[in-house]
Amino acid sequence: MTEEILRVENLHVSVGDVPILKGLNLVINRGEIHAIMGRNGSGKSTLANVIMGHPSYEITDGHVFYRGQALEDLEVHERARAGMFLSFQYPASIPGVQVGTFLKKSVSSVRENPPKGREFRKELTAAMSQLSMDKSFLSRYVNDGFSGGEKKRLEILQLLLLQPHLALLDETDSGLDIDALRIVAEGINEVAPNSASLIITHYQRLLDLVQPHFVHAMIDGNIVHSGGPELALELEERGYDWLDNAA
Amino acid sequence: MMYHQMPIPPRSEHLWRYTPWHRIHPSKPDVIPSADGIVFKTQDNVSLIETSSTQPTSSEIARTFLHECKGSSYNLSLDNIAEPIHINARCSGHVSVGTLNVEVKGSAVLFIHLTGEPEWAGIRITGTVHPNSQLFYGFINELDSNAKFLRCEDWNLQRDASMENATLSLGGFRCKTDIRSSLNGTGASLRQAITVNADGAQHDDEHVEIHHHHGHTYSDLVMNSACGGSSHFIGTGLLTIAEGANKTDASQVFRNLLLSEKARAEAIPELEVLADDVSAAHGAASAPVDSEQMHYLMSRGLNPVDAQNMIVSGFLNDAFSNLTNAALIKEMRTRLTVHLECELKR
Repeated sequence: MTEEILRVENLHVSVGDVPILKGLNLVINRGEIHAIMGRNGSGKSTLANVIMGHPSYEITDGHVFYRGQALEDLEVHERARAGMFLSFQYPASIPGVQVGTFLKKSVSSVRENPPKGREFRKELTAAMSQLSMDKSFLSRYVNDGFSGGEKKRLEILQLLLLQPHLALLDETDSGLDIDALRIVAEGINEVAPNSASLIITHYQRLLDLVQPHFVHAMIDGNIVHSGGPELALELEERGYDWLDNAA
Repeated sequence: MMYHQMPIPPRSEHLWRYTPWHRIHPSKPDVIPSADGIVFKTQDNVSLIETSSTQPTSSEIARTFLHECKGSSYNLSLDNIAEPIHINARCSGHVSVGTLNVEVKGSAVLFIHLTGEPEWAGIRITGTVHPNSQLFYGFINELDSNAKFLRCEDWNLQRDASMENATLSLGGFRCKTDIRSSLNGTGASLRQAITVNADGAQHDDEHVEIHHHHGHTYSDLVMNSACGGSSHFIGTGLLTIAEGANKTDASQVFRNLLLSEKARAEAIPELEVLADDVSAAHGAASAPVDSEQMHYLMSRGLNPVDAQNMIVSGFLNDAFSNLTNAALIKEMRTRLTVHLECELKR
């Protein structure tokens, strides 16, 4: 039976006085992978950020429902605890806070029955091994001095540990070399069957490794065209100009 | 010159601008109070000797004042001691004063834990790190929150000597610190870190002077403060590089995290560079908690209080990142963590 995880209805969002999203609609069910592609500035990251509750964005009209509940009622940390996850395009660095400490605190905050010491370490070691991450990562400060690829791996490590119902992946493929992209894609594929996934990307190459069920083209704050995986190939080949009239 | 012959320094002097002498003096500036001695205690195998003679006078008013208060006086000789040395400096009474002279030959790790419930405490520490010797030193101020505290230190780093000097300032109601280090030989190196966690109506004034008298010397100062309530932190630094002290590499960074609208922080690094071929960098910043960091941690399930506590803890810990000695870093971070956890439980 289909379980609706995310419903976006007629969403209008502004930053200051500038409208970014202009009446966007989207539904994602459990087990589905949706990809959104679009030019820079079309509003893709805004969509992900506003779903996660970033305070800089104001919803001026419309609604977002997560598992049937209106998101306006939930603070950011409550959204995370309810099973929402955003892999940030530019994750913040937290100097002085070790990755290991941060992960433990995050898992304890989000999971209803968080694993205890040894159990957590075992789970953490397995997830890090899957992502080819060295143990020394744990004693480094969160994203502080990390390369682009290291930041993205840490985001996917959190995805694996937090096991969300909804995974929003904002340009998780940017800054990754071919090998790192494959490893990150494996991580996404592990979580995707049991969650609803929204992948925001500029490139087809991630979608070769993580097969989306639906691809959406976004222009000027709205989804103007949707299709299957073949749409990603078409967008890569033809660009976005042919969709401008639809916007 | 005796204390009574000295003029009271005006507030136009950089050192006394934010905490004038009359505000840190235990009573009235023309009074030399009768002081109880700070009791210094350490492990049995360490040569900590109480002496009758206090340290020599100085031309500086706070040091001269501490000298004339005639509290306790100790000498500590460190000669290649493998295990870290912990000195508990216990203050009590109305006015509590102590002086300590440290001589380091070889390598040593030293911690001074300042505790007690005096109304006023004053400590003066002088030390020499002899040629090719290393001192890794941590000072932890855990005085009662009602105490006034004056701390003056003078360090002499000789040729190829290195020192790591870490401060954790947690206690006291009004604190004035003046730490001066002179790099008096080629190859001398100083890494200094100061972490201040101020709350309520605390006033903490940390002044650091680093003087490069020779070339091919290195210094690195990091001062991080987190200020809540209506607290006020002042960090002032004076970095001097003498004429001819070429190939000196020096930097100073001051960062303040403001946790409430009433909290205030000043960060004022000053440079006097008289040599041509040097690297001298400085920076200062005061800001509230970063909203992107908060959002990131909250998006990982931390509530706003936990998220802010994690950021503050990380920020304060980060001041010790420029140190290299594992035992020093571990002790300072452990003390800080314990303090922050105790604060959370209040």
